[in-house]
Amino acid sequence: MTDLKLKLVYRHETTSKPILSETVLKTRIPINILDAKVTPSAGEMIVDVPASGDKLKEVISSFQVSAVIVKEITPTLEFDLDKCTSCGACVSPCPVQCIKQKKDWTIEFDEVKCVQCGICVDACPVKAIAFL
Amino acid sequence: MAEQVGAESLRSYEAINAKIKKGNAVVLTAEEFVGYVESHGMKAAMREVDVVTTGTFGAMCGSGAFLNFGHSEPPIKMFRCWLNDVPAYKGIAAVDAYLGATAMSETRGFDYGGGHVIQELTERKEVELRAEAYGTDCYPRKSIETTITIDDLNQAILVNPRNAYERYNAATNSTDRVLYTYMGTLLPNFGNVTYSGAGQLSPLYKDKSFETIGIGTRIFLGGAVGYVIGEGTQHCPQNQFGTIMVRGDLKKMKPKYLQGATFHGYGTTLYVGVGIPIPLINERVAETASVPDEKIVTDLVDYGVPSRNRPSLRKVTYAELKSGKVSVNDKSVNASPLSSYKYAREIAEVLKQWIQEGSFLLSRPAELVPNYREVKPLETRKYEPRVRDVMTSKIIAAKISYDLKSAANLLVEHNIDHLPITDEENRLIGIVTSWDIAKAVAEGKKNLSEVMTKKVITAREGDAIDIVSRRLSQYNISGMPVVDDGNHVIGMVTTDDIAKLFKR
Repeated sequence: MTDLKLKLVYRHETTSKPILSETVLKTRIPINILDAKVTPSAGEMIVDVPASGDKLKEVISSFQVSAVIVKEITPTLEFDLDKCTSCGACVSPCPVQCIKQKKDWTIEFDEVKCVQCGICVDACPVKAIAFL
Repeated sequence: MAEQVGAESLRSYEAINAKIKKGNAVVLTAEEFVGYVESHGMKAAMREVDVVTTGTFGAMCGSGAFLNFGHSEPPIKMFRCWLNDVPAYKGIAAVDAYLGATAMSETRGFDYGGGHVIQELTERKEVELRAEAYGTDCYPRKSIETTITIDDLNQAILVNPRNAYERYNAATNSTDRVLYTYMGTLLPNFGNVTYSGAGQLSPLYKDKSFETIGIGTRIFLGGAVGYVIGEGTQHCPQNQFGTIMVRGDLKKMKPKYLQGATFHGYGTTLYVGVGIPIPLINERVAETASVPDEKIVTDLVDYGVPSRNRPSLRKVTYAELKSGKVSVNDKSVNASPLSSYKYAREIAEVLKQWIQEGSFLLSRPAELVPNYREVKPLETRKYEPRVRDVMTSKIIAAKISYDLKSAANLLVEHNIDHLPITDEENRLIGIVTSWDIAKAVAEGKKNLSEVMTKKVITAREGDAIDIVSRRLSQYNISGMPVVDDGNHVIGMVTTDDIAKLFKR
């Protein structure tokens, strides 16, 4: 099964409703919250959905019925390994540990785990990491 | 009697160079030597191995280059000059300049600096040169704008006043916000650890008594041959914070080993590749060259404290740092380097090859780098105002039992915006602002406890004004209570108080 990451945008009126929990109960898919923030005007969550096919469609429509805007997250970070010096400055700041150094210290990026927070883009001293 | 520092009791430079010329010198990288000593024992290792090569590739702010542009027609005595909008130091001869690694572009700021210009010069790219002058009888021209490449320059000499720190502090962050430092990005609440330096490959650590490194030591610098020209600034060898000053021909260097860099929120710098051959001239040198990561210790320092004297949380070895996990306050925290160990290895390997090929001979220094130097701080002898000089000492505070109306009355009566809330012993437990009260009234709330901010940002009366104003802007607040050691409120300091200081 392939995991899919979704960005869920809640409008102000819907932030207080347990929409995610209801979706989990209804679809029985163990949705994992990777990142969540609430601002005065909206709420935003990045979730990992371990489902595909009809099950995935069911999850998406469950959110949409409750007026949550659903966007699929596709990989948008690019590591330019020609520029990269394998220094490691991006590794420990990553909040989800999706950047690792191999035995020979070269960088390994796990885009499935990435939540695109962008902290590594700023942390890279030689600008080898960029949003696509 | 103890052997003299730098004694060549195991082998002389001449003997080593004779072997290099014959092609039978035994050279190992420092990493290989550590392993060789473990497997063959110290006695055999120091008898068999002639030279140990080291390497490091890290951000070295103490770097820059002297450039000579040649004379234009009509000639100019450049008074100020810029390379790709990065200012270079012009307090020297007419068409000489010193371009420092941390100088920043006047148009692109943090994204581009002296380090980047140096890299582009080694890439043989065109660089814009702009200069201004006041005009003299001998140098009539008053301005010039042209482009140059490194091949147009008469000299391009890398002269780095402080390179290759023997080791460096590891960094972490106790505060509740992300810090952007020269030690990289530090996550809040001890969220990660960063470190710098190559540990068991570190050039200066491998001769930590400074018995072979001195003026005239031939080294690998930026991909070419360079030389040590003395101790570096802030050299403090007795604490294993030794540094060196180096020079080399920039025209021969390679961009791979000389890279412009930016530390987000901090500024620009230059990553420099340095490798030093350590000749095993005596037993002590062989001993230090064999020190493994497990025995190279540094301090884990809290960069959340914006002071010269940042507290050390614990000692940590490079072996633990390189494992990627460091325990901080009983929590396992991710650690990662800022300097490239991969490149450090490569540099030690390249230097080893140069020596094995016979193209790189070792040089006996004319004078060794000192193995003791006191490092003194900069004292501020002019009095600088502290919080106690600007704060309001009259304490107006509310108790938690007050209702909103009496709190509002206090604010109005005293014409203030911030109201600390204290317990019976005058200890701080919260704060409300006039805005909080307005909002509470709008939302129909009644009690102070519902409204107040419990996590209060505070100041101490001895805090420097610069630190406090930075804190105010970081948290986007306009005032904070001043508290003593027991968290008792002793006053208030606001942006108005600080503004008055500058109006005087």
